[in-house]
Amino acid sequence: MFDLFSDPVKVAKQLDIIMNEFGFATWETLYSLVLEVAFAYLIGLPLGVLLVTGEKEGIKPLPKPFMAVLNVVINLLRSVPFLILMIITLPLSKIIVGTKVGTMATIPPMVIAAFPLVARMVESSLREVDHGVIEAAQSMGASAWQIVTKVMLPEALPSLISGCTISVGTILGYGAMAGIIGGGGLGKIAINYGYYNFKFLVMWAAVIGLILLVQIFQSAGTWLGTKCDKRLKNRS
Amino acid sequence: MEPIVELRNLSKTFGSGEGQVAALQHVSVAVQPGEIFGIIGLSGAGKSTLVRCINLLERPDEGQVLFHGKDLMNMKTKELRAVRRKISMIFQSFNLLDQRTSLDNICFPLELEGVPRAEAKRRAMELLETVGLPDKANSYPVQLSGGQKQRIAIARALASNPEVLLCDEATSALDPQTTDSILKLLQSISRERKITVIIITHQMSVIEQICNRVAILDSGVVAEIGEVEKVFSNPQSAAGRRLVTPDVALPLSTWEGPVARIAFNGNMSEEPIIASVAVDLGIKLSILGAGTRNVDGKAFGAMLVSLPEEAEKRKAVLDYLNGHEGVTAEVIQ
Repeated sequence: MFDLFSDPVKVAKQLDIIMNEFGFATWETLYSLVLEVAFAYLIGLPLGVLLVTGEKEGIKPLPKPFMAVLNVVINLLRSVPFLILMIITLPLSKIIVGTKVGTMATIPPMVIAAFPLVARMVESSLREVDHGVIEAAQSMGASAWQIVTKVMLPEALPSLISGCTISVGTILGYGAMAGIIGGGGLGKIAINYGYYNFKFLVMWAAVIGLILLVQIFQSAGTWLGTKCDKRLKNRS
Repeated sequence: MEPIVELRNLSKTFGSGEGQVAALQHVSVAVQPGEIFGIIGLSGAGKSTLVRCINLLERPDEGQVLFHGKDLMNMKTKELRAVRRKISMIFQSFNLLDQRTSLDNICFPLELEGVPRAEAKRRAMELLETVGLPDKANSYPVQLSGGQKQRIAIARALASNPEVLLCDEATSALDPQTTDSILKLLQSISRERKITVIIITHQMSVIEQICNRVAILDSGVVAEIGEVEKVFSNPQSAAGRRLVTPDVALPLSTWEGPVARIAFNGNMSEEPIIASVAVDLGIKLSILGAGTRNVDGKAFGAMLVSLPEEAEKRKAVLDYLNGHEGVTAEVIQ
């Protein structure tokens, strides 16, 4: 790879790829990320809530077998390596989005890989909520639904945001790997041009692009989480 | 008068097997409307469990929890939630919602009932006036002192127009001055709004200051119940005497012989009883420690004295002391 800088034609060619394809690749990365995070939370958030409220000492205990199955499913999905999970679940994409190739096809496997992570993230955030506050709400006659929506979620918001930031970073990483099975985006560029075709300048540019995205999301998440945490208000 | 809250024969056990703890054993208490009722006991006596049974945050294993004569144990969830709005509660750790302003904390119970926002806000502002913190409407709990947080918690508890206010160690995390002001607030609220207040505490001073009647809870059993002056000035139970007489620490390291604890329950503290033992029995006792507490103008005292080594003399001393009215002597070492 060290002849990279010695051949002006090669360099020019690679720069050309970077100029022409990075805009669209970044866009692909972002829109699939948004869809994946949205669906992962659509499934993972309610499950995370159930993991906390449904346990024996929770505010709405659910049947033990149900909780056991829920926990096993989540743990199972969490322990299968992402690449393998992705290949196993790809046939599902045919059913859900109608195709097994392309960026859209990678979204269902990614969601399946991501929602258990999200559920655990939400669970750990909700467990941080002081039990006394929940007890206070119960003493005021709040229903389980009211406790979830008006106490647990709002009180855990800063922690939920920081959990979401971590999830976004992880899903972004998954997305880069999805390049292997045909998902578009920066990850695909890094693998196809860089790894398979020895265009290392393109590969490094794509990697730097991904690093920048992670940085931006992390900073934004930290800023938002801190800003909305009323426990951090300076005493006046 | 029909009691507003009545607990009948409550029992509650935690855990199972060897780690089993009987938190409550056949506890019966009746609270009259409008009174300030205290429940006192040392930590582990079952106070917090008892108060949580009143609104069924804790479900007793057996017994009845009556509110206006209706058993909460038989109620459906919805009915129970409606009753809970009439039985408010404040806590030692305040339990405010950290992510809401004071005003929104007070609005919270109204929100649960579906009161329109504007109306809820108006009532919350009134309550902020009641607890003396109108300027803290937009402050978050982290910006408030402990006493201020408890005032907001009280305002929040009053928002649903409750008939009963449960206070679970509500002043235990506060300094004496703040405790005093919170107790005065509770007293005036009880008087002006005709709210029955049930106070759980381990502090005698809290009961003395504002309660009409008191129940002494000891190891999950009601040891004594009655008017505060009567119970405190003439405790009938061992637990009552333990509470009322001051604690005197025993200098264990320096004394190896037998020791007696003499409690004076206010009727005869002026009599020179130690001198009398010396004169009448010819036995000299040395005082190892002593303390007094003033309850309702009567002096309650406790004293630790050495006892003779000989069993006969020891018995003679104890019999002599116990023969006096208002004096209880027991061997503690």
